[in-house]
Amino acid sequence: MKDIIKIEKLTKTYGRKRGVTDVSFTVKEGEIYGFIGPNGAGKSTTIRSMLGFLSFNSGSITVLGKDSVKDHTQILKKIGYMPSEALFYPSMRVSEVIKLSADVRGTDCRKEAEMLCERLKLDTGKRIKELSLGNRKKVSIVCAMQHKPELFVFDEPSSGLDPLMQNTFFTLIKEYVAQGATCFLSTHVLSEVSRYCDRAAVMREGRMIKEDKVTNLTESSIKNIKLTIDGEHKEYMYNGDINELIKELSQKKIQNLFIEEPSLEDMFMHFYEGKEA
Amino acid sequence: MLSIYKHELKLGFKSLLIWTLSVGIMGLACILLYKNMEGDMQDMADMFSSMGAFSDAFGMSTLSIATLGGFFATEVGAVHGLGSAMFAALMATVLLSKEEDAHTGEFLYSLPVSRANIVIAKVMALLTELIIFSLVCGLCYASGFIALGEEIPMEKLVIFLSRMLLMNIEISAVALIISACSSKNRIGVGLGLALMFYAYDLVGRVVPDMKDYLFVGPYSYANASEIFAEKDTPVAAMITAVVVITGSVFAAMCVYLKKDLAS
Repeated sequence: MKDIIKIEKLTKTYGRKRGVTDVSFTVKEGEIYGFIGPNGAGKSTTIRSMLGFLSFNSGSITVLGKDSVKDHTQILKKIGYMPSEALFYPSMRVSEVIKLSADVRGTDCRKEAEMLCERLKLDTGKRIKELSLGNRKKVSIVCAMQHKPELFVFDEPSSGLDPLMQNTFFTLIKEYVAQGATCFLSTHVLSEVSRYCDRAAVMREGRMIKEDKVTNLTESSIKNIKLTIDGEHKEYMYNGDINELIKELSQKKIQNLFIEEPSLEDMFMHFYEGKEA
Repeated sequence: MLSIYKHELKLGFKSLLIWTLSVGIMGLACILLYKNMEGDMQDMADMFSSMGAFSDAFGMSTLSIATLGGFFATEVGAVHGLGSAMFAALMATVLLSKEEDAHTGEFLYSLPVSRANIVIAKVMALLTELIIFSLVCGLCYASGFIALGEEIPMEKLVIFLSRMLLMNIEISAVALIISACSSKNRIGVGLGLALMFYAYDLVGRVVPDMKDYLFVGPYSYANASEIFAEKDTPVAAMITAVVVITGSVFAAMCVYLKKDLAS
């Protein structure tokens, strides 16, 4: 499988403020790659550097085998990008925005756009200023998908979409990926990553602190401990020899004890709180 | 690039319509007012032409406002000069910054068009708008002459509108730098820029020591009174304008191509 996105030692600062530091990862062809991190972790900076909105201090970004700086326009032809805010020109009609997006690409996307609008239940006759966040997101989805790009880049795509539409959206992604596309998904919603992504990276304070298969991220020596001692309920993450833990607990009067694999949410909180796995 | 150009024209259509009709109809109204005031004009013209530097500043020492040509140059010249400059400055100040201000940049700049081509398409759209503005205003003024049963001073009118257009382009080129540097719409700064150039020209015509430096300002070659009085073409001022336009657009482009776009 060839590399679709290859980022090496990406560093971006905003004056004295931190952006991202030494971020490196690779997204392979046909993958759905999750990009997780709290607000300000550097997810959007990475995406915006990748798309050429920001110039970075050092490192290199290769997208679809091309240099993100030199071949910026050629790369954008093959990308479908959905920004987190989904803001368009308020006075334009939905159909005009979709048409503009297709016209600039020089492709006739009417058939695909029609299919997408139908599945997303999007009224193309309305003006942008009349739309809710969820409906603006749908416009953004159509603009990102109608030209059947080789790579999807989604920044917080599901916020604002109702559960039914979220389901339709991820079904569409899976269909396009089955046809050979690759998807890079930046999100706060960890259940989306665990349900749909093959691999994921965790960002914290501008650095990438973990990258692995989603199944591996939750399979580690870290255990989620839930217990009740003397009527008091406790819950915490334990990273160490499980025999030592049992020996220690055996000296206490325990009413209930659960030792579980941590969920992705637990892992995220674990990374976020600054403990290494 | 053509799609972006058309898109930009569509976005600016409402402003173009409002400003063109406002300035054009105001100019037309001024021309139509002339007939009502014609009888009383001679005394007023004598008074206005003998007000020293003030008369110089508004061109009333050069031309008599008792004639339609003189009245047009002093009254409509001022209306068009200020109105068109404010329109040009307003449109140029927000030309690039509006994408970041309204957060539409992420949509626009994710389309497969280079940033340079987006700037070129936007500048071409602005230029088209300024030309349409001049043509429609010109038609309004010409229809005013026809309504009064007077001959249209075609050659002078064309020179007047062409130089005003050049002045509009110069002001918008300078305002484009503001737009390129800012991620917020700075409409106040843009309008202030247009008024500042106008004030510079007025002061320059009143203060004798400043007369030699008038050519630096964009109004120096677009003075309607001088055009209608058939004074010499201010070549130095017009060459300066071309240099300022080229330099400003180049500077704006350089700033904008290297700029980190705000989300």
